[in-house]
Amino acid sequence: MDINKFPEIKPKGKLIKKIYVAIMLWIVGRAIQAASRVDKDVKREFASLRDDFMLHLHVLPAGPGMIVGKDKNGKVKYMGWKPGGKKITLDMQAKNMDGAILMFTFQESTCVASCHNRLAVLGDVPDTCTVVRILNIVETYLLPKIITSLAVKRYPKWSEMNPVRKYLGRVLIYIRTFTF
Amino acid sequence: MQLPGYYEFCNKVKIVSGHHSLDQLPAMLAELKSVKPMIITDKGVMAAKLVEPVKKSLGTKYKAGAIYDDVPADSDVKNVKEIAQIYKKSKCDSIIAVGGGSVIDTAKGANILVSENSDNLMDFTGFGALKRRLKPLIAVPTTSGTGSEMTLVAVIADHEKDVKMLFPSLFLLPDMAVLDSRMTRTLPAFLTAPTAMDAMTHAFEGYTCLAKNPLSDTTAMVAIRLISENILKAVKNPGDHDARLALANGSALAGMSFSNSMVGMIHAIGHSVGAICHVPHGTCMSVLLPFGLEYNLHKTGHLTAELLFPLAGEKVYNETPRESRPRKTIDYIRNLNAELRKATGGKHPTCLKEVVDRDGNMMVPEKILPEIARLALNDGAIVYNPEELNYEDMLMVLKHAWEGIPLDLSKIQKGKVTSKIKVK
Repeated sequence: MDINKFPEIKPKGKLIKKIYVAIMLWIVGRAIQAASRVDKDVKREFASLRDDFMLHLHVLPAGPGMIVGKDKNGKVKYMGWKPGGKKITLDMQAKNMDGAILMFTFQESTCVASCHNRLAVLGDVPDTCTVVRILNIVETYLLPKIITSLAVKRYPKWSEMNPVRKYLGRVLIYIRTFTF
Repeated sequence: MQLPGYYEFCNKVKIVSGHHSLDQLPAMLAELKSVKPMIITDKGVMAAKLVEPVKKSLGTKYKAGAIYDDVPADSDVKNVKEIAQIYKKSKCDSIIAVGGGSVIDTAKGANILVSENSDNLMDFTGFGALKRRLKPLIAVPTTSGTGSEMTLVAVIADHEKDVKMLFPSLFLLPDMAVLDSRMTRTLPAFLTAPTAMDAMTHAFEGYTCLAKNPLSDTTAMVAIRLISENILKAVKNPGDHDARLALANGSALAGMSFSNSMVGMIHAIGHSVGAICHVPHGTCMSVLLPFGLEYNLHKTGHLTAELLFPLAGEKVYNETPRESRPRKTIDYIRNLNAELRKATGGKHPTCLKEVVDRDGNMMVPEKILPEIARLALNDGAIVYNPEELNYEDMLMVLKHAWEGIPLDLSKIQKGKVTSKIKVK
């Protein structure tokens, strides 16, 4: 057999997962941008991050991914999925598609994914802690309690997030996420 | 038993343990193909004449290419650069680090610079920055606590910029570690106690935090047993060689455990107390250990209960009803701290307000607790803690640890209860 004519075997069955994760990453990226305008805690967390902060959350080896960072005016923006030309300051990598699926179907929280070596992080530790807190808040807004409870260590109590703040914030974040 | 769906465990450090294990140094250097090692240590180790047995063990065939003895109590980037320059100038080909955690961490930092032929340590901070094997490094610990001889992390401060940098990489694991009872024999009782409790905390957090796995569990269990059985022996009788060797082994095993399973809130708060108030790390760990276990009881009570066996022994474990074991474990640690306080003539603190400097001044004033709580929120260890902690939770734990009053379990904000034992 001519080795040069040997057919390249591509893994199958991951296309649906890839599309699902890509959609979820787009929603989360847009929702982070929206939450940074709506929620005071997310605003405060972003204010504590460096001026050139740029998060790249993606799946190894070839995506999908999403980039969220601060622009020149200090505003938090979803910046698409291509890292080319951008100075990434925090690189969060799901090591494979199955690990990403566990995270984005909320079977495993960001913390647990990291503890189980499914999520690798390149960058500053304090920035990572801040992003984990931001993701927890955004998930609380986006999802019903029964699902969020799987994705966070502790669902916020009334004292931390009262229903008015939660439901009003949820509506505003959804509107901002899906409108351009 | 909890088996994670996926985990990673790596420890490739060759351990040489014994009452005269330093005698193996020439063979170890030969194995590493080194002929001119550089010795890195600090003034305290030099004053205690602990470098002498190392030099003597090198024999006639090997001679240290250079000796650097100016490592400060807190590893500093300035010293790392100095060491790298001396290493290159003296044409050394390996490093022997003789000292505690600071010396070993400094040696790891210097090894990065000499191996990468760089003079900027900042280029290698954070995860994934190191891509290849470094020069041979042999760690000879002179304290039994940090476990740095078995860990893949170096923490080095830049005091000019007032930041602590974290260097985590599998390439930072030393090639070999020598556990020789002679090297910890001169450690005074008031330092033996907190350093051993530091190792105990590594094992407890390694066993109860989120990244635990069967291998880290095994090493943590044995570490707790070795430390618990020998800590008071070594404090009361510093010349007890067997107890010293057991503590060194316990510390190394605890290091192996937490290097793979990481640590949680006790370290997150402890790092911040250390950074702001300059309290020695082991002291912070001794005080905070029971409070951290208490805070997580509704999540990991069943795991804390399991640790009563290696901590207190078979008899106490069997005599304690299942539902009382988590509390008994915590009480046992509080009693151990009290006994250590007695055995060290009051130098071992049991709460933060008892932590004093050499002149007897309080090191952790109550008014500084909010600042500590804020800093602890950004410590990476918090990710691995079973229960969430926000600023108010941190402050609540700190206030209780300051006063030395056990936590009120009813006031802890709880996430999903996962403990298989209901603790009241």
